Amino acid sequence: MNITDIVKTLDGTLVAGGESDRKVGTVVANDLMSDVLLNDGDDILLLTSLASDQAIRTANIVGAMCVVVHNAKPLPQTMCQVADTLGIPLVSSPLSKYDSCVRIHDFLAKEG
Amino acid sequence: MEYRPTILTGGEKLSDDQIMAAHERKHVKRVSGPGLPGSDGQGEPLVIMELLQRLRVKDVMRDHDIISVVRTDTMHFAQNLMKRNHISGVPVVEGKRLFGIVSINDIILALEGGWIGEQCQKHMATNLVVLEEDMPLAFALKYFENYIFGRFPVLNKERDLVGIVSQRDVTRVLMRELTNELARLEGAPGTPGAEQPGAAQGQEASKSEPVLPYYSMRQFVVVRNDLTNAGKAANAIKKMLGDAGVEKKIIRRIAVAAYELEINICIHSLGGSITFILDSHKATVIAKDKGPGIKDVEWALRDGTSTANDWIRSMGFGAGMGLSNSKRVADVFDIKSTVPTGTTVLCEFNLPERAAAAK
Repeated sequence: MNITDIVKTLDGTLVAGGESDRKVGTVVANDLMSDVLLNDGDDILLLTSLASDQAIRTANIVGAMCVVVHNAKPLPQTMCQVADTLGIPLVSSPLSKYDSCVRIHDFLAKEG
Repeated sequence: MEYRPTILTGGEKLSDDQIMAAHERKHVKRVSGPGLPGSDGQGEPLVIMELLQRLRVKDVMRDHDIISVVRTDTMHFAQNLMKRNHISGVPVVEGKRLFGIVSINDIILALEGGWIGEQCQKHMATNLVVLEEDMPLAFALKYFENYIFGRFPVLNKERDLVGIVSQRDVTRVLMRELTNELARLEGAPGTPGAEQPGAAQGQEASKSEPVLPYYSMRQFVVVRNDLTNAGKAANAIKKMLGDAGVEKKIIRRIAVAAYELEINICIHSLGGSITFILDSHKATVIAKDKGPGIKDVEWALRDGTSTANDWIRSMGFGAGMGLSNSKRVADVFDIKSTVPTGTTVLCEFNLPERAAAAK
């Protein structure tokens, strides 16, 4: 599952950070950044409702491959700027976090 | 390394009283570490301390067009030389060997005593305090503070004269270096203080040959409640580690600790700093804040315990995992806290690959 697959699966829009050919290694759905930092997985896809610069900086610390913000929350301009600077793809999705988890699970299950 | 004042002896001349007075001052003064003049080296910002240790005397000395006389030149010749060049002393040199110094005081006494036409070698000061080119700049500053001289000759290991350093030389270089350091700390583009593209995946490190500087230190100011900028220090530290070729898994552990501690300072304290030290075998993150301190450190170290308010929680923090997360990833963890003075947290990380490379 790459960025294109994520955008398509979650009815989302890539709003910042640019394209990337990295693939999802671990999926983390969380709004508490300390919990995200606890995760030792590689190539993390971060599903969150936190629309702030810190979501991107946290993603950078753990080497995440993409951040998805849910419920079509308006994204602060600074958040997009940080995503562009750090080169982390930022996707906005109208889905709830729960629905995103379900769709991603289905996709990965099919992908094997 | 400890440096002691180097005094070349070979005679006793006019500046003897001055030298003795300077020595007395030095011995009366309390023993102090290298740092800014008038300080004990403990209170300055670490950025300045690091600068004063990193810069060497040879980085600030004037090593070309050194104005000098030879032993057989007359005091009158030395006087004219000093007058033309607006300087208050000239070294007496032959080849690269330093024999003495003729100062403005020597000239005044020569005029009063009527020996202005005699050779410099008879009246020059030969009891000299000199600097060595590899001394840290901090020691040069201490010399300027402890002795009355406005300039010092600089010798190399072979005891050859290789330069002259004056207070003006020191000020010029220090101003330049501090300006560069300030630009870096303010996050100017292209500097380690700024967020760097590619840092997330360690791309910078993979593009270029890893470099292993023996020792580097950076300090980042963390402002209370400034969540807009919180995390920049951790990202910069991650970038530094990537550039130094440190293993990715270790980089992540260090970055997690730096980030948690940086956020802690931002949301729980009155402000403080993150200091990062990278040496040949370990990385150290020191988080120091200005208060209010933690009443019960044991309680604060437990997972899920937090004094965070709703605003902090709405920003994704305040889950009470910061300190325990930092402790979890560090090889050595230490915390000291005093109410209301503040809290200092130290996290050390072993770098076995780097230590092996250094060997």
